[in-house]
Amino acid sequence: MKRILRRFSFWLLIGFILAGIWGPKCFKSSAETQVASPFSMPLWVKKDTSPTMSLALEPKREHVQFEWNWEAPPNITIWGTAKFEKETSASLILENPNGETILLAQNEGNTFLAVDVDGRDMSFKMGLGLSPFDDPMKELFPTKGRYTIKLWPPDLKIKSGAINIRIEGSRWGLLGTDQRGRDVFHLFLLGIRISLLVGISATLLATLLGVSVGLVAGYAGGLVDTVLMRIVDVLLAIPGLPILMVLAGIWGKGLWQLVVILSIFSWMGTARTIRSLTLSLRESTFVEGLRALGAKPSYIMFRHLLPESLPILLANIALGVPSAILAEAGLSFLGLSDPRIISWGRMLNEAHGFGAFTTGAWWLILPPGIGISLICLAFLDLGRTLEEMADPRLKGGANK
Amino acid sequence: MIHIQRLSVSYKTERGQVPALKNINLSIPKGTATAIVGESGSGKSTLLHSIMRLLPPEAELSGKIMFEDMDITSMDDAALRSFRWRKCSLVLQGAMSSFNPVLSIGKQIAETVAYHLHLSSKDSYKRAEELLEMVGLPTFFSKRFPHELSGGQKQRAAIAMALACSPPCILADEPTTALDVITQAEIVWLLKEITRKNNMTLCMVTHDLPLALSVCDRIAVMHRGEIVEIQKPSGILNNPTHPHTKKLVKSIRSIEERGNPK
Amino acid sequence: MRQNALEVSELWVSFEKGSKAFHALRGISFSLEKGQTLSLVGESGSGKTTATRASLGLITPTEGKVALLGVDINNCSKDKLIETRRRCGYISQNPYDSIPPTLTTLDAVAEPLVICKGLNKKAARERAKEMLSVCGIVDEVVLNGRVKFSLSGGQKQRVALARALVTDPEIIFADEPTSMQDASNRGDILDILQEYVKKGSSLVLTTHDLYLAAAATEHSIILFHGKIMEAGPSKEILKSPLHFYTKALLDALPGLSKKIKKPSLKQGEPEYRLSGCPFLTRCPRGIDKCSKTCPPIKEVSPGHFVACWLL
Repeated sequence: MKRILRRFSFWLLIGFILAGIWGPKCFKSSAETQVASPFSMPLWVKKDTSPTMSLALEPKREHVQFEWNWEAPPNITIWGTAKFEKETSASLILENPNGETILLAQNEGNTFLAVDVDGRDMSFKMGLGLSPFDDPMKELFPTKGRYTIKLWPPDLKIKSGAINIRIEGSRWGLLGTDQRGRDVFHLFLLGIRISLLVGISATLLATLLGVSVGLVAGYAGGLVDTVLMRIVDVLLAIPGLPILMVLAGIWGKGLWQLVVILSIFSWMGTARTIRSLTLSLRESTFVEGLRALGAKPSYIMFRHLLPESLPILLANIALGVPSAILAEAGLSFLGLSDPRIISWGRMLNEAHGFGAFTTGAWWLILPPGIGISLICLAFLDLGRTLEEMADPRLKGGANK
Repeated sequence: MIHIQRLSVSYKTERGQVPALKNINLSIPKGTATAIVGESGSGKSTLLHSIMRLLPPEAELSGKIMFEDMDITSMDDAALRSFRWRKCSLVLQGAMSSFNPVLSIGKQIAETVAYHLHLSSKDSYKRAEELLEMVGLPTFFSKRFPHELSGGQKQRAAIAMALACSPPCILADEPTTALDVITQAEIVWLLKEITRKNNMTLCMVTHDLPLALSVCDRIAVMHRGEIVEIQKPSGILNNPTHPHTKKLVKSIRSIEERGNPK
Repeated sequence: MRQNALEVSELWVSFEKGSKAFHALRGISFSLEKGQTLSLVGESGSGKTTATRASLGLITPTEGKVALLGVDINNCSKDKLIETRRRCGYISQNPYDSIPPTLTTLDAVAEPLVICKGLNKKAARERAKEMLSVCGIVDEVVLNGRVKFSLSGGQKQRVALARALVTDPEIIFADEPTSMQDASNRGDILDILQEYVKKGSSLVLTTHDLYLAAAATEHSIILFHGKIMEAGPSKEILKSPLHFYTKALLDALPGLSKKIKKPSLKQGEPEYRLSGCPFLTRCPRGIDKCSKTCPPIKEVSPGHFVACWLL
């Protein structure tokens, strides 16, 4: 047991699992919402391009200041409602480093200020005195320097509500955004869930099937054994991925269909291993002793032979999960999975489909790719450790 | 012939020094058959192996073993090589595995003969066949391989190997364990006859007290690394002094009496 | 007529060894009444273990009939076989492998009660504890430790004994039950078996030790290469053995006051032949007739049978 705890892969996996379960909960909005402009780079890259800034005017913060040291941003959106103490005429203004002010929005003298401004709105452009085809951004952000957005009159206090401002740039977040402006990091964390879910449940299902077949074939022997093993041989001979593709095409692209399909094609190895273990244990003295006692075959199989095979089963499970994850990723990459479900394979599929490879948006490709590799490697390492622990015991148990 | 003085052997293990033999003093006169009797763990195998200096590297030996007038404990490798097998040979427990499975019996015995007696190939084979005859195996057995022999036959072949250089002393480590009862009796009879006829000294280690009583002139009883009693067979039977020996004799007697009430 | 605990008639068990057939048992017949005790005496290869396993149906005989507790076990339903086996106790020769390695000592002895008598786990464990203390194992650490790791060979044999006896079986098959015990402990094992015999169980013991057979059982059957050489009351065979093989066996067994004797048997390798006496190649006084036909079993004195042309 200590051997497992000492391995880095174990802790890496724990980290992944925890991140997958709690990570997405830390996000206020759903992963589907657009948080920034599409194809934004991660914040920590190329600091000379403009980041996407999200600001807010709230109670006790009636003005915000920020540094804008880049070219004019592609767009600005302002939305929200601020409520005041009493009826006032209020307006929202932008002050640039040159000291000029521009009116962004105003109310009609009531108790709130409702703003819904998008830099591309025609009414907004016309309000600034531009034609519908001009770019208002250069007007709003003529130079680099400190900008302020504030309420007018200056002593106005917001009682409740907030006005949100988003200035779009080309950088955002830990891992940037995808073609729809969704946070890649959030998607990455959600992808952990799907990978682990599919990987583990497909493997568990396959193991269940494999153990039952292996135990029965090994213990019963004779015709039952022959028939079952020929079925195993036939299924082993069928090439996995093409069949998976065909079945996904026929049966539809749901998540559980995927799990079932994956498990149908991975139980054979376990069946063979368990069968050979059962065969060797069947001849051992203690099984003979159990038969002499008058134990039923089902008792012998499930109360004795199964626990004996537990160590090797665990190792098999740990080694089977990576192949399930890879198969799922592969199928998703080919577009054969549910498009509503966010998985790493799907992320790669969309990256490929929306031209991330050509625009050089590496933050859409590397995170899911590295994620898949790391999780698979962690499971493989864990599986090998479990196998090593199981093997000497295996030899000791059967042959002593 | 063999004098063991204050022999102590301990093994170095991960848990520290484990004593196997504690201050052993034993003399084996020339021409006698001595048995060392004890349960498993009493150290009897270790004792036998130390006479031939065949202990594993983690064993530490202190004390003195004199063979005739040679000090075994301080011999160097070259002297040991001329001592082993020519002066004193060993028949091991489980002769099943003392033979190389890919060579024929004859070849292996001839090899031993050739190495120690420096005979030619033809003469070594001849001697090998003589030895096989001495132990009661037909000469055509020299062409057979170890897996073609039964347990008793392999043990006989091992004795033949031990006699290769006509040593004055033979040590036997549980030569009859794992053999059938009748085969055991035959092997023991063989050992006794050969050592008697050639005036050899025999030292046999066994856990079977009745076997030792029926064969040997002197019996040394070992318990937990020490020799607790040395007596003639009649002495052990009628006057055991150490409580362990008493217990041993009593329990064997009780089973015999149960089946054969006089 | 009372139902016999065990009835074996004309039992043949043969194995294929390449092109040759190896006969472990060559048409032996014996019967055991309820409450009687029997030893199958012989060396390795004599067929005594095979006979024990065939009696329980663990080996299917090539020919012949076995009636265990009145049930023809080779011609009955699987359920009937299982039910019959639950009334027997079997101690196999090798204590190292005969107990499932995943069980603790206590569970190993409780398991037969759960399987055969349908007790619940708690009651089974209580009874198992009692049984184990009778067999000399009381230490808590040992009781709760895995059998594989915490017991010596002798202790494992006792656990196997407890495992077989805890269900109060009607017939006990003990295959060399004292082989791993020190001389001082053999008596205890025999005492425990005697207790159960007094309670009414029948006993079939296998051993190579005629003294043990005489101490533990009333009747003995001497087997050699699958054939019965001599059969009769154990103590009588011990006092006056008739067959050459029995004599040689007795001489070979070390005893406290015995001096070693020159072995009387010839050095030959027993051939696996169907006709003739299998003992011929080792018999010091074989005659022509012995190679042609196998001697039948004759009653030489009341209850004492021998199979030899010369007697």
